[in-house]
Amino acid sequence: MLGELEQVVLLSILRVGDEAYGVPILGEIERQTARSLTLATVYKTLARLEDKGLVASRTGDPTPQRGGRRKRYYALTADGRRALRESLAALRRMTRGLQVGWDHP
Amino acid sequence: MRREHADSPPALALRLLGALLPPAERESFVGDLVEEFHAARLPRLGRARARRWFWRETLAAVATLRPTARVPHAPSRAGDPLVLSFLADLRHGARLLRRAPAFTLLATLTLGLGIGGATAIYSVVNPVLLRALPYPDAERLVTLWERGADGSPTNVGFATFADVAAGARSLEHAAVVGDWQPTLSGAGDAERLGGARVTWGYFRTLGVRPAIGRDFVAAEDAPGEQRVVLLTHALWRRRFDADSAVVGRALSLDGVPHVVAGVLPADFDNVLAPNAQIFRVLGYAATQEWACRSCRHLRMVARLRPDVTREAAAAELNAVSARLVAEHPTDYAAAGVHVVPLRDQVTRAVRPVLLAVLGAVGLVLLIAAANVANLQLARAMRRDGEFAVRAALGAGRVRLARQLLAEGLLLAVLGGAGGLVVARLALPALVRRLPESLPRLAAVRLDGDALAVATAVTLLLGVMIGLVPALHGGRASVFDTLRGATPLAGPGRHAARAGLVVSEVALALMLLAGAGLLSRSLLRLLSVDVGFDPSGLLTLQTQATGPAYTRAADVYANHDRLRAAVLAVPGVVGAAVATQLPLTGNMDAFGIEARDRPLANPELAPSAERYVVTPDFLRTMRIPLLRGRGISDADARDSAQKVVVVSAALAAALWPGEDAVGRQVRLGGPTAPWRLVVGVAGNIRHGGLDADAGRQVYVPERQWMWADDQVTLVVRARGDAAAIAPAVRRAVLSVDPGQPVTRLATMEQIVAASTAQRRLALLLFAAFAAVALLLAAAGIYGVLAGSVTERTREIGLRSALGAAPRDILAMVLLQGARLALAGLALGLAGALALGRFLGALLYAVEPTDPGTLAAVVALLALVALFACLLPARRALRVDPMTALRTE
Repeated sequence: MLGELEQVVLLSILRVGDEAYGVPILGEIERQTARSLTLATVYKTLARLEDKGLVASRTGDPTPQRGGRRKRYYALTADGRRALRESLAALRRMTRGLQVGWDHP
Repeated sequence: MRREHADSPPALALRLLGALLPPAERESFVGDLVEEFHAARLPRLGRARARRWFWRETLAAVATLRPTARVPHAPSRAGDPLVLSFLADLRHGARLLRRAPAFTLLATLTLGLGIGGATAIYSVVNPVLLRALPYPDAERLVTLWERGADGSPTNVGFATFADVAAGARSLEHAAVVGDWQPTLSGAGDAERLGGARVTWGYFRTLGVRPAIGRDFVAAEDAPGEQRVVLLTHALWRRRFDADSAVVGRALSLDGVPHVVAGVLPADFDNVLAPNAQIFRVLGYAATQEWACRSCRHLRMVARLRPDVTREAAAAELNAVSARLVAEHPTDYAAAGVHVVPLRDQVTRAVRPVLLAVLGAVGLVLLIAAANVANLQLARAMRRDGEFAVRAALGAGRVRLARQLLAEGLLLAVLGGAGGLVVARLALPALVRRLPESLPRLAAVRLDGDALAVATAVTLLLGVMIGLVPALHGGRASVFDTLRGATPLAGPGRHAARAGLVVSEVALALMLLAGAGLLSRSLLRLLSVDVGFDPSGLLTLQTQATGPAYTRAADVYANHDRLRAAVLAVPGVVGAAVATQLPLTGNMDAFGIEARDRPLANPELAPSAERYVVTPDFLRTMRIPLLRGRGISDADARDSAQKVVVVSAALAAALWPGEDAVGRQVRLGGPTAPWRLVVGVAGNIRHGGLDADAGRQVYVPERQWMWADDQVTLVVRARGDAAAIAPAVRRAVLSVDPGQPVTRLATMEQIVAASTAQRRLALLLFAAFAAVALLLAAAGIYGVLAGSVTERTREIGLRSALGAAPRDILAMVLLQGARLALAGLALGLAGALALGRFLGALLYAVEPTDPGTLAAVVALLALVALFACLLPARRALRVDPMTALRTE
């Protein structure tokens, strides 16, 4: 089962879509969960996910706003999608049968 | 100091990220941070908070992204167990340090102070003393000096420069520089600028080309030619809004139009005159009166040909000089030329201070390292249990030593991070206290070099701190320790701690001795009789320029009006005008010939500082009149008998043991008039508090050969000189709003400023010595406290067997005294050995001054005694029964 941060980062990549690199991934998490992370935390999680083969990355184009530095885009691999689905399903199973209001994580 | 743009992320943070992040993540991560900074944080949080956010992110990244470094998944995993297990050591060490926050904080602070201090001082020393000057092939640049009567280097006259530049084949380019302080008028307020007059090849010699416009050309450097100037980048931006259209335009300087030829590059640093903002061609011809051989007021700089060594150049220039002396025997005091590398020349004044301070900070660093190593050793001894368990589980000695090494490195890295913060905070404060005339001051900042040194020092300290306990930490018997017995004594391990404490005391004593010597020296210096009364004196510089002052009489009339206006200010009791002031670095000296002591070579006549003054100068300065009379209003008329007042030292040099009053002297060459000595005044310290009481000659201004347009006004106040400064400034401007008022300062400020470098050295030494004293005391306390704790059983046993409290007290104190005495003896030897490096900074104090050394030894002994008393009192309170029961 995936860690909570791993789930959040994977979900954020899915929500952002094609433009998923560090800044929007972090932004989406902050907007949806109202918690503030450091970019380093996101990167550390991304590195772990990539090591596990759950996300793949490619290098993009530099933009002047970034002082000419290139972006790194992330996308879920097939393994990543499966792991996320299973992890969320496990959560759902764990909440099933609890008091009302808990069964829709 | 800061070059980055105000709205950009902190440059130091970016550098840290660049250096510390794993390459795989660096580019995308830093790019994301920068983008987020500009797109989101800056507009939302504002500049300051956005920068703080960036720093937080940087620290988080350095802390989290670095150590993991994605090693676990790397293919080298199986082949590199050493790296992996060392990473495990680091993680284990980090856990332990987190569990001992007080110790970690103390060690970080101690190391941070040491590393930070060292980094800050190095950041100053590196550009100023170590790095090459900012010119192409700077090692080929030299300054050239004529040889004075006593062999000392002196400025050159223009005719000599012209002959040397034409006759010497070893010089690729040569140029001379003279002072120039023009008043810029026209757009905006009239302003006195720092400037320089240079021969046309000056910038070619340095290897600098204007960024905009053109360099001077040879044809312009002649009398009567159109006057052209070059502006520094800073002046161009400040005064002309960085408008390139200024090139070719005419500026009014001293009321005369000058054409702007170009603007120098932004990074041009003029080490020969750091305050110069504007340059004009010298425009001399060798036939001019002021271009003579004995008119030595120019500084010469030259670029050697690439294939010529300095020795070869000196040999050739000496030959040229010998030829000139043979041709013009009465124009030179001695043959020969001093060839001094430009870098040595510009750093000469600050080198002793900076090197002494660098040495001092090195000592502090050593003490900090010894202190933390000591703490680690104590911890290692307390962790015998842990090590015994690990040893019992099969960890070898090397493995345990590596654990300690890892912890030492962790501590050092924490200290290094703290040190960067300390350096960042300390550097601007340090730069503010450095003299503005210091060359390369603009290049002082925390740069890559400084970071590299900080990193190297950090790693070195880490290894030191790790190795000491590692070498002495693993000796406890596994069996005894696991059994739970406390050994009665552990002499071998304690020797290491004792050794560290002894060296801390020794190093602290060396620093204290330095601080003591410097402070005694400064006290002696400040009690020097300057020869005048600086209290209640206000001084300022002003200048009469423009068409209203073309005749000398206009300038004198202006001085009269100035004095009258200032005397009308309430609280002013005296005012006078003079061409120079003591202790301000003015160097306007003339050779003085006595009519009754003719010399074959007038260049061998003693020289004296020329003070061209209004009649009440001596009274206003309160320079005592020893014989004869002072200058009076009657001497002010142009037609009167020409008179001078000489200082006692000048009188003694010209007529030893005889009365000077009534004799005649001449200054300014064979065509100058003879002047009657009417009085002898007390000597004043002109060149500095530490210089010999100089020789002065006072000339009434209306009797001098020309009217100096740039003068100093000295004002005596009835009370506080600073209080009348605004009113005096208004009075000067009321006479002519076009005359600039600069260097408005009390004489006491000038006296203080003349000792600024010594004060800085003393301040730093005192601060370092205080830290060292504290650390040494903490070291002694730590060792004794630890020893009392370990010997609780022994102490209990002794008192149970009938030892009196006095005996217990003596036992602990004796142990402390042995440490302190050994340290003091070693430190004294070190202080005697190192004292000579302070020699150049000391005034009227020997580096081996017994009084100072005795005082600092006593101080340190007293502090050591206090450090012993606390553990000793605890030893007295040991209850024999409790102590024995623990067994």
